[in-house]
Amino acid sequence: MAADVHKKKGWEVPNGSLAPGNGQHAERSESPTPGLAQGTEPGKGQSAGQEGAMFVHTRSYEDLTSPEDGGAVVRSPEERRGEPAEPTSMEQISKDFSELSTQLTGMALDLEEEMRQSQEGKLEPSPQATRHDSVLSGKEEEDVTMDTWRMHRKHVFVLSEAGKPVYSRYGSEEALSSTMGVMMALVSFLEAEKNAIRSIHADGYKVVFVRKSPLVLVAVARTRQSEQEIAHELLYIYYQILSLLTWTQLNHIFQQKQNYDLRRLLAGSERITDNLLDLMAHDPSFLMGAVRCLPLAASVRDAVSTSLQQAKAKSLVFSILLSGNQLVSLVRKKDQFLHPIDLHLLFNLISSSSSFREGEAWTPICLPKFNSSGFFHAHISYLEQEMDLCLLLVSTDREDFFTVSDCKRRFQERLRRRGVHHALQEALRTPFYSVAQVGIPDLRHFIYKSKSSGLFTSPEIEAPYVREEEKERLLGLYQYLHSRAHNSSRPLKNIYFTGPRENLLAWVTSAFELYICYSPLGTKAGAISAVNKLMKWIRKEEDRLFILTPQTY
Amino acid sequence: MSGRRVDAKVVLLGQEGVGKSSLVERCVHRRFRAGPYQNTIGAAFVAKVLSVGEQTVTLGIWDTAGSERYEAMSRIYYRGARAAIVCYDLTNSSSFQRAKFWVNELQNCEEGCRIYLCGTKSDLLEEDRRKRDVDFHDVQDYADEVKAEFFETSSKTGQNVDELFQKVAEDYVQFSAFQEMTEEKGVDLGQKSSSYLYGCCHH
Ligand SMILES: Nc1nc2c(ncn2[C@@H]2O[C@H](COP(=O)(O)OP(=O)(O)OP(=O)(O)O)[C@@H](O)[C@H]2O)c(=O)[nH]1
Ligand SMILES: [Mg+2]
Repeated sequence: MAADVHKKKGWEVPNGSLAPGNGQHAERSESPTPGLAQGTEPGKGQSAGQEGAMFVHTRSYEDLTSPEDGGAVVRSPEERRGEPAEPTSMEQISKDFSELSTQLTGMALDLEEEMRQSQEGKLEPSPQATRHDSVLSGKEEEDVTMDTWRMHRKHVFVLSEAGKPVYSRYGSEEALSSTMGVMMALVSFLEAEKNAIRSIHADGYKVVFVRKSPLVLVAVARTRQSEQEIAHELLYIYYQILSLLTWTQLNHIFQQKQNYDLRRLLAGSERITDNLLDLMAHDPSFLMGAVRCLPLAASVRDAVSTSLQQAKAKSLVFSILLSGNQLVSLVRKKDQFLHPIDLHLLFNLISSSSSFREGEAWTPICLPKFNSSGFFHAHISYLEQEMDLCLLLVSTDREDFFTVSDCKRRFQERLRRRGVHHALQEALRTPFYSVAQVGIPDLRHFIYKSKSSGLFTSPEIEAPYVREEEKERLLGLYQYLHSRAHNSSRPLKNIYFTGPRENLLAWVTSAFELYICYSPLGTKAGAISAVNKLMKWIRKEEDRLFILTPQTY
Repeated sequence: MSGRRVDAKVVLLGQEGVGKSSLVERCVHRRFRAGPYQNTIGAAFVAKVLSVGEQTVTLGIWDTAGSERYEAMSRIYYRGARAAIVCYDLTNSSSFQRAKFWVNELQNCEEGCRIYLCGTKSDLLEEDRRKRDVDFHDVQDYADEVKAEFFETSSKTGQNVDELFQKVAEDYVQFSAFQEMTEEKGVDLGQKSSSYLYGCCHH
């Protein structure tokens, strides 16, 4: 099995822009006055740049594909020498992506039609309102009806390059082997080159292939998600597999034996992958490429973070406290940044298994965006039986269980001493806030992402989005807005969408992304004043909704 | 890996799904969860305090994952173990082959580790005796050969589970009493009766 994460050299993130000097002692800067100009967005916390940031710079799904990405993945020297080095493949993917999307915009007729209308409207509050603004007509809504959405099952298959089934979301891989064979033929027909993405449109379905040698990932989707977003989800699945095996081991296995049956090694992990696919369909974290925080009074959060920070050990790299899929606190080693994708994988791992409820788990885990060649060891435990509060201590030393376990004990002791236990319990009772708190009657729901912090905030999804399908439909609308806003050939800064069921607005700047959903009776002018009011509210609440002062050991 | 908090390290090994976690759950929480099978990820640690005569023994139990994925890592979980409970499913003979693999591994790498063979899910045999896939006498012969203890348990009914862990604790006390006495060891005031004191009383 692959060597553990390199203790020294392997950690240095080579790219200076990704790992700035630490700013952990910097006091939190005075909150900038509420304003909508870029750079003064709420939720940003400390001054400029990455100082004291929690994650590496996040740029939603492009993040997965940009050349910059290669810099975030740190490799061992051995691996750097090896020829199929990943940076090349990521660049390749990035290149393929851009080629692909130009090609695809021509193919997808509905998008073309949309583009014709994209010149019409303009949204006032944006300082950089440009010709990229777009108003989508309500007739778009026709296609986004309940029936369509209910059918938007997405099939996902993973196979080896030799065509052996590795994972299938529905049905057994065995029964699907023939399908896999057909897919394999398609893949080789479509792409002789390694590490590429291709897609086919047929009969209202999109078939998206992502080839990440030695694996091929395929999605057959009936959804309005763009190819890029589907590919993004497939990449998550790929990273999920890496988190169990490491990139090094995966490649080693297939170098030894091309037609190896990977299911042997992945046995028991199907549940984790299933859960990841479900989560991606329900939780906007993945779409946003950002992390949501548990709403918590700043004083309580600070006490938690300080307790966590004090319960340190030499081998610890990250201490993470989470509840549900929300972040309560994160303390990291100086100069070490956790990528949101890695954190999402950890969230998924924990939410997919009830086995962590008992005792203290000690498990090897690879954080593929941090270092895809080695394992960390994670100590995973719940603080209390009936409390949804899970502590994750990520260590570099697999022999260090008792030291790390002692960190947990010390953390709990400090929490008790600081007397925040009760406040924490109280906060866990209402892990989501209601949009009514904002005080805008027409406002139904929103997602606000602060790009520099990699965090986002969003209220609970409430009426009329009560049933599961309705919730999924809402997320689908956001997905759609998101893909329109980030279309690589024609990115849109503002999108205003009116429909019979709801109106939607998206506003993307270099500093933040805002998506709001409000009553179909609301006017555009109303929406604009709502945005202003909402931004002020988020500003006012920012120290409860975000982590503004990230800590290091 | 050794900890101050525990007296004896105990590791559970065996093919996935044979019932290692259920065995620990029964021993520690006195319950059985029928629900869907949740395979262990990596390994789970739990401490269990047992009394042996006048003294208490804290077993540090490592419930490992049976998945092959973790095989290469298994050493870190069994290294330094005083006892290994090697489990197999009484209704599945392939799981007994896997148990033999673990016994070999332990004999090669962990000489000081006592081996307890544990045939699980005996309640299934009570329902239908034809379900037995691993012969009692075969295992007994094998156990003699490798100097292992041998139990057949059910985590569902609780049959033999306490006996198994009690035996582990007793053997630990018996085998370590002499060593404990001669070793330098700090006295932990938090712990009422330590094996050290126990050792003293008997000599
Ligand atoms: N009838 C019966 N079922 C059992 C017994 N012990 C375990 N099982 C069932 O067997 C399945 C697997 O049990 P686990 O205890 O999770 O197995 P494990 O050995 O820990 O598996 P891994 O963690 O994957 O290595 C579960 O569905 C249990 O309910 C038993 O004594 N009787
Ligand atoms: Mg288990």
